[in-house]
Amino acid sequence: MSEHDTSERGPAARVKALEQLLVEKGLVDPARLDAIVDTYESKVGPRNGARVVARAWADAAFRKRLLADAVAACAELGIAGPEGGHLVAIENTPRIHNLVVCTLCSCYPWPVLGLPPVWYKSFAYRSRAVSDPRGVLREFGVELADDVEIRVWDSSAEQRYIVLPERPVGTEKMNEEQLAELVSRDSMIGVAKVTAPGKSR
Amino acid sequence: MSELGLSDLARLLGCDEASVFSAPWEARAFAIALGLSQAGLFTWDEFRERLIEEVGASDRIRERDGTNRQGEYYEHFLRALEAVVTGRGIATRSELVAKIAELQGPAAPDGHVH
Repeated sequence: MSEHDTSERGPAARVKALEQLLVEKGLVDPARLDAIVDTYESKVGPRNGARVVARAWADAAFRKRLLADAVAACAELGIAGPEGGHLVAIENTPRIHNLVVCTLCSCYPWPVLGLPPVWYKSFAYRSRAVSDPRGVLREFGVELADDVEIRVWDSSAEQRYIVLPERPVGTEKMNEEQLAELVSRDSMIGVAKVTAPGKSR
Repeated sequence: MSELGLSDLARLLGCDEASVFSAPWEARAFAIALGLSQAGLFTWDEFRERLIEEVGASDRIRERDGTNRQGEYYEHFLRALEAVVTGRGIATRSELVAKIAELQGPAAPDGHVH
């Protein structure tokens, strides 16, 4: 190992050393780091996005506001935070299916979906979502009719996306809370559809 | 190339997705990066630019020879974090290397510690 190279050490050792050094310099507080980890491991996650989708399905006026200004609409539900600016909601219809990717790194709307899953950050997904979206969707188990247009949205520092999936048939009598239960993280990235309970896709 | 992509994605989809981090060090690296940016030591956009460079460098190697030499996402993330921390003068490379040695003892002869 060269004197100025950390890269040949295992990442766990490097992170531990970095944290300790920063603590000694008074720049980070371990308790604050614990709080950040806890927030993103267990508090901020796709249940927030599911509440937004369920509200949009149940309340047409909210749906309109969400599609016009997703940041403001999410704030109505108390949902905001880092990487939550520049959020845009895009709506699936019987003719249009939306798929979200970040080809350059891992941009993702944290306040509504939490941190991205492993596959979202993978080379395979980032490189193929744009070039072969239909193939990617097939791997996720989503078969779309040939006449359904797939729109791929590449996230960036300036723009993040949440997909508003189609409300499944047979959920007319469900309340917002029950609807939110149906909404998966993957459906809000656009790699899954939402299905009514008791129905397989 | 696309064969590799296919099997890669299939493997990743099979992973347990219950946790957003696959090892404690990933969570810690994320928290350090967000904590430092929230403390105003650099902006998240500045960090992202560096992350994009690291991810891009790794992608180019994969496109060229199909190898995964630069590791997975959080390894790029950690390299970007170290680069911003040292680039901003928050800590120096030699301080980092010295701290690793202090915590772990000297490197094994092959330079690898896992």
